[in-house]
Amino acid sequence: MITQAAAPPTATAAVTPPQPGRKRRRPDLFRTLSRVLIMLIVIVQVYPLAWLFVTSLRSEHDFATGDPFALPGSLTWDNYARAFETGDLGRNILNSLTVTMGANVLIVLLGMMAAYAIQVLGFRFSRLVRGLFLVGIIVPVQIALVPLFIDYSAVNLLDTYQSMIIPLAGFSLPMSVYLFSSFYEYIPNETYEAASLDGAGPYRIFGLITLPLSLNTVVTVVLVNSIFIWNDFIFANTFILSEELKTIPLGLQNYIGAMGKVDWTATFAAVCVTITPLLLVFLVLNKAMIQGLESGATKG
Amino acid sequence: MLPNRSRTSVLVFLLPPLLLYGAAVLFPILQSLFLSFFSWNGISDMEFVGLDNYVRMFFADDIFWRAFLNALIYLAICLVLQLGGALVVASLLTSLRRGRELIKTLYLLPAVISTVAIAFLFVRIYSLEPVGLLNQLFQWVGLGALERPWLSDVNTVLAAVSAPEGWRFTGLYMLIIYAALLAVPKELEEAAVLDGASRWTLFTRIRFPYIRPVWITTTIMATTYGLRGFDIPYLMTNGGPGQSSELLTTYMYKTAFTSTDFGYASTISVFIVIECLVAVGLILFLLKRKADS
Repeated sequence: MITQAAAPPTATAAVTPPQPGRKRRRPDLFRTLSRVLIMLIVIVQVYPLAWLFVTSLRSEHDFATGDPFALPGSLTWDNYARAFETGDLGRNILNSLTVTMGANVLIVLLGMMAAYAIQVLGFRFSRLVRGLFLVGIIVPVQIALVPLFIDYSAVNLLDTYQSMIIPLAGFSLPMSVYLFSSFYEYIPNETYEAASLDGAGPYRIFGLITLPLSLNTVVTVVLVNSIFIWNDFIFANTFILSEELKTIPLGLQNYIGAMGKVDWTATFAAVCVTITPLLLVFLVLNKAMIQGLESGATKG
Repeated sequence: MLPNRSRTSVLVFLLPPLLLYGAAVLFPILQSLFLSFFSWNGISDMEFVGLDNYVRMFFADDIFWRAFLNALIYLAICLVLQLGGALVVASLLTSLRRGRELIKTLYLLPAVISTVAIAFLFVRIYSLEPVGLLNQLFQWVGLGALERPWLSDVNTVLAAVSAPEGWRFTGLYMLIIYAALLAVPKELEEAAVLDGASRWTLFTRIRFPYIRPVWITTTIMATTYGLRGFDIPYLMTNGGPGQSSELLTTYMYKTAFTSTDFGYASTISVFIVIECLVAVGLILFLLKRKADS
């Protein structure tokens, strides 16, 4: 909401007609204004997360009574101890890792294969297949919930890792296919022709040329999709019942106690523990991830 | 095309991905369409009811219309925060000399956090007792009169559950738009500045037309994501109080898994899909036509 309220000043600053005498000062004023505005918006984006972390170190009493903006009087790790007692965070993280890795293997491998068939091998209905994949980008995931729930119970797949992996991979596949095929467009035909003259068939060409060249795109595809898969709530919430299979988003829900009573500081500690893995990956690989997100949109 | 490819090789590469995609995406779409003509609670026999579900949805279900309207408001708030915020920040960022990378990273941070964590966080931000961040902020700037339990006030709850979704992804769209703005040829901008163009003209006449294709893509992304928004409203209020923050998605979910009315839930999901397709069509129509004129 603050972003909205903050927008008009820039507009007016930008609309101000150029005034001859102030020509040299105007850019500075504009620059200062935009700097202040950017700082404000960044604070809106980051402060809640910092607050979340600080709160996880606050004592329960301090949290219930104090001014929410104030720094805590003393720091305590008790909340983290309680967080680990209440839920099975280790198990949740392990489950999220399993699902994320399983889905990523499928997305990368199948995405590459489909892109190879469409872009490199080519066939008569390749445009139709490409169009079919576009459907998956537009269509909301909720459409699959009821049918998959019914199908899973028919083949006993409810409450398994696969029940999460299949739709997560299926709905991420289109983006992967598009990223790989737009990369394959740039591999010159001569490379393939030379290999063909040497007698390599489509399988060897895939294994020896296309696959090794795709590694950069693999990183992009994995990074972009992992954010969505790691944080998936809706499929896990619909298909998973048993505690042993709960991923992080479901595990966090266990912190809402009976009658909606919540141990907030412990919950925030649990949130901090569970966002750390992806956050670390993001901070270490943020260049690659940012590039991936940019290309995902402009090409997809 | 490879010279010595065979029909088998195409199938070997194409069938596995199509199988997964078909099972997870294409087949369920058809199945939903099929189910929408039946009445079924998952246990008893399926009963063919023709168009009854559709008639009920359009003419006899006030909650459906309420949820549809709410979903549009939710979408509007998300779009303003995400696309508006993204465009403003991206434009401002190009005028910065240093720290661009850092700001991009910080700005994107919320996109990495799970919706469950965000829901927890915002429940506390909106809370009245003990006083949460938002109410405290209003106290400080002398707007104490605005203090309220944002999530249980029927007038504010919809905006309150929409804002976190907008907040979460604005960084993502900013990145995309920023990358597009960087690609605007410097010579064009410089020539316009020499001609005495103001910053506003520069933006409307040169920068924006140049990034229009990317703008169309981001608008489509943000719209389809906004229309499928579910997690945060579901987790924070479950559509309540009453139906005041009910979206089509949460209504569909409850119809399917609380009332186990699979047939009617499928009817609603078919409507959501059509709504997405119509939205994409409209965006392409409106934005493309403007580009041509």
